[in-house]
Amino acid sequence: MTFLDRTTDARKFRHWEGNVEADYIYTSGVAGERFFVTLRDEGRMLASRCTVCKLDYLPPRMFCEDCFAELTEFVDVPRAGRVAAVTVAHIDRTGAKLSHPQVWAFVTFEGIRGGLFHRLLVAPKQARAGLSVQVRLKPRNGRTGTIADIEGFEPVRS
Amino acid sequence: MTARISRWPGIELRAADLIEGKVTQTRFRPDAKYAWSAGEAMSRFLEELQNGRFIARTCHKCERILFPPRMFCEECFRPTDEWTFIQDTGTIETFSVSYLDTDAKRIVEPILVGVVSLDGASPKMGMMHYFGEMTKEEIRIGMRVKAEWKPPGDRRGSVLDIRYFRPLRED
Repeated sequence: MTFLDRTTDARKFRHWEGNVEADYIYTSGVAGERFFVTLRDEGRMLASRCTVCKLDYLPPRMFCEDCFAELTEFVDVPRAGRVAAVTVAHIDRTGAKLSHPQVWAFVTFEGIRGGLFHRLLVAPKQARAGLSVQVRLKPRNGRTGTIADIEGFEPVRS
Repeated sequence: MTARISRWPGIELRAADLIEGKVTQTRFRPDAKYAWSAGEAMSRFLEELQNGRFIARTCHKCERILFPPRMFCEECFRPTDEWTFIQDTGTIETFSVSYLDTDAKRIVEPILVGVVSLDGASPKMGMMHYFGEMTKEEIRIGMRVKAEWKPPGDRRGSVLDIRYFRPLRED
């Protein structure tokens, strides 16, 4: 055996297989809690505002990234956003092939720093940056206070 | 808390708050599979334990017999050359009288553990194991010992295929 005869398959030798138990519960944090509770209960999206820097943040955060001030003020995110970037997924997060390709987009809102990454509810051929979109939510009784309360973004019906 | 600070800033969450869903949360179970391999040399070593013998690797450059076997000579910085069997007898290099078990639980009757350098391998090369059929008063550095193997049917290709090292009887 030389250095070039490397073994890359652990299963060729005596080996032990296992599954790391790494279950977790991820809480939303102070500003995230406010965002998800308002989304769930009122169907509105909030951004946090820095009055010093005249900046809004989405997702809302508790501190201003520019001046480190604590942010306590929240404002509504405008109804219409803009698709900043799109991607079409053909495999799911485990690597398994999807039966239908899924469109994902990063959506930004005018005057707000940040944005949301979510499904874009259009056919892959129609997916493009620059689309004017609005959020589509699950019905109230299906919302649980997670990002999945949003079904995705759909083109604004003018 | 400290003398000066009675309460830290922030919001305290208790397990019950999470379980009762008082705060929004995301739960996830990652599929974090692994396969841990003993590698080429140690796999052969473990297989040979099942056959009731110790195998080592030789290095032709430094002429050492390496045990436990490895595919790479750490002295010469080159791949090792050949497999060779060594004996299951040896000499106690060092030992401990342990009043803690493998879970670090306190025990009344101590277990004897230590390092045996094995006959046929280069000096000081050997393995760590239990010692048996001797008392904590009898055990000595330099004592000659022999592996006490489990019956062949009970061996699993594990270092525990040896029950312990016992005093070598010259008969």
